[in-house]
Amino acid sequence: MTAIGVGRASFVVRRRAVAVSAVILVALVITGVLALCLGKPYVAPGEVLRSVFGESTPYDVVVQRLRLPRVVLAVAVGACFGVAGALIQSVARNALASPDVVGITQGAGLAATIALTSGAAAVVIAPAALGGGLLAAAAVLGLGSRHGLAAQRFVLAGVAVAIALRALTEIVMLTAEPIDGQRAHIWLVGTLAGRGWTETTWLVVTLLVLLPVLAWAGWALHTSALDDDTAKGLGVRPVARRAGLAAVGVLLAAMVTAQVGAVDFVALVAPQVARRLVRAERPPLITAALTGSLLVVLADLAGRLLFAPTQLPAGVITAAIGGPYLLFLLVRRKS
Amino acid sequence: MKLTAQDLTVGYGPRSVFSNLDLSLPSSALTVIVGPNACGKSTLLRTLARLLPVRHGSVLLDGADIHSLPTREVARLLGVLPQSPLVPEGVTVADLVGRGRQPHQSWWQQWSEHDGVAVREAMGQAGVADLARRPVDQLSGGQRQRVWIAMTLAQQTEALLLDEPTTFLDLAHQVEVLDLLRRMRDDGRTVIAVLHDLNQAARYADHLVAMRDGKVVAAGPPREIVTADLVRDVFGLDCVVVPCPVTGAPLVVPA
Repeated sequence: MTAIGVGRASFVVRRRAVAVSAVILVALVITGVLALCLGKPYVAPGEVLRSVFGESTPYDVVVQRLRLPRVVLAVAVGACFGVAGALIQSVARNALASPDVVGITQGAGLAATIALTSGAAAVVIAPAALGGGLLAAAAVLGLGSRHGLAAQRFVLAGVAVAIALRALTEIVMLTAEPIDGQRAHIWLVGTLAGRGWTETTWLVVTLLVLLPVLAWAGWALHTSALDDDTAKGLGVRPVARRAGLAAVGVLLAAMVTAQVGAVDFVALVAPQVARRLVRAERPPLITAALTGSLLVVLADLAGRLLFAPTQLPAGVITAAIGGPYLLFLLVRRKS
Repeated sequence: MKLTAQDLTVGYGPRSVFSNLDLSLPSSALTVIVGPNACGKSTLLRTLARLLPVRHGSVLLDGADIHSLPTREVARLLGVLPQSPLVPEGVTVADLVGRGRQPHQSWWQQWSEHDGVAVREAMGQAGVADLARRPVDQLSGGQRQRVWIAMTLAQQTEALLLDEPTTFLDLAHQVEVLDLLRRMRDDGRTVIAVLHDLNQAARYADHLVAMRDGKVVAAGPPREIVTADLVRDVFGLDCVVVPCPVTGAPLVVPA
């Protein structure tokens, strides 16, 4: 632990967290450049860099219009999922908690499915998904808060809400016109294909607006691992603090799901990978954000290349990685 | 720092644990609360520590009602060690003791030089300085309890409340913790603890509070109040009270 002073302000950082974050950042930049190079046509790294930095090259359309928006979006999506997962896992005190476990993804999915199958305009879908995710989260927090938002209660309430919402989504999809059901199904599997600057702008604005709150959250998480009596003894109001941290987490998760659909497991995996690398008792927010970004950039790249010319949605790739990872967590916990 | 309970009524659900309780605890002294299981001693301590809401009456800290003071301000005046607190996974000793500085910090002032000094002092006083880099979940029960006490010491409060700090410790470690409480008292702090063992309470306490069924049966210096009659009243046990051969404090021997 090292304290950094800025005037009267001071911030605590872990040296290991800084080192790990720096390494992940370098890996992220390299992967990002690779994602701009690879595919059909292949663009040499030199050409990519020249195009990105504003020089005119024959590959401007491929690099600037097709690949760059997707890579930047992947970075933003991963960062939002990483931070959301870190917050929700810390509040739930459970490494298996994430937005798709506690019902936020399912709420967004149900709302988007209703919008898609009822013939609503395309612009309505993202706001509807955001609203659905937030409503689901409100239901979970409401159900979970009856006994001071105890960690286990919060997770159980989330699992129950998630199952109910998934069942409702199935009903809506099955009773809809087949073509609408198909569109809803495609939305439900998160993908970055065909998405770009608009979605990125929403996510970056959300992150920027939440920045002061995230700075507070990074500090408030210090006491999230303590029991309520100990935390109260230290002058903390644990229930209010948990509710605040969870609210920031679900807002981010609902926002990102509304923009790109359910890119499953990133919010689950990224914070835990970050926590293990940093060797801390809880996932550090910035490291979790960078890890999430790296995961989504890699997943989107893999989805583009693995079965080219067929493109797999990033959500399919992350789910394929997430499943075995979940098993790995379960097996390791027992030993 | 004087802690007073006035006309205090506290309960869980419809049941009252105690009603209209009045109690005044001396400043800069070691007060020990004893009584049989379920007599309300832990509830009383938790109420004094502001962990439980009061139904009626008030707890005064040097005359100010702690339930109307801001939470952080209470935490700068009064430290609490709950019974068997949860150890965060993988946290180191220095890190955990550092959390005691929480009421003195804010998100934009997370650490000052004074915080570092307070943490080092607290670890020194509690005898855990050489464990600073060790993970708390790998320590023995006695070491762990001293780490928790160090955390409340780092809080630098004048008053300190501890709920059964010696439970689950072997005898040598119990004595270690009790000696530590006494040293804290010697530093001028007001220390209040709930203890299970009446003989330890009688030996270490400056002021003893004996409770039964939510009522204070007797309160005062152990040498004045610990008698065979009191023990029969409070614990329902026939006994002989003799002077302790080492300290002269009253020693309760079951008959």
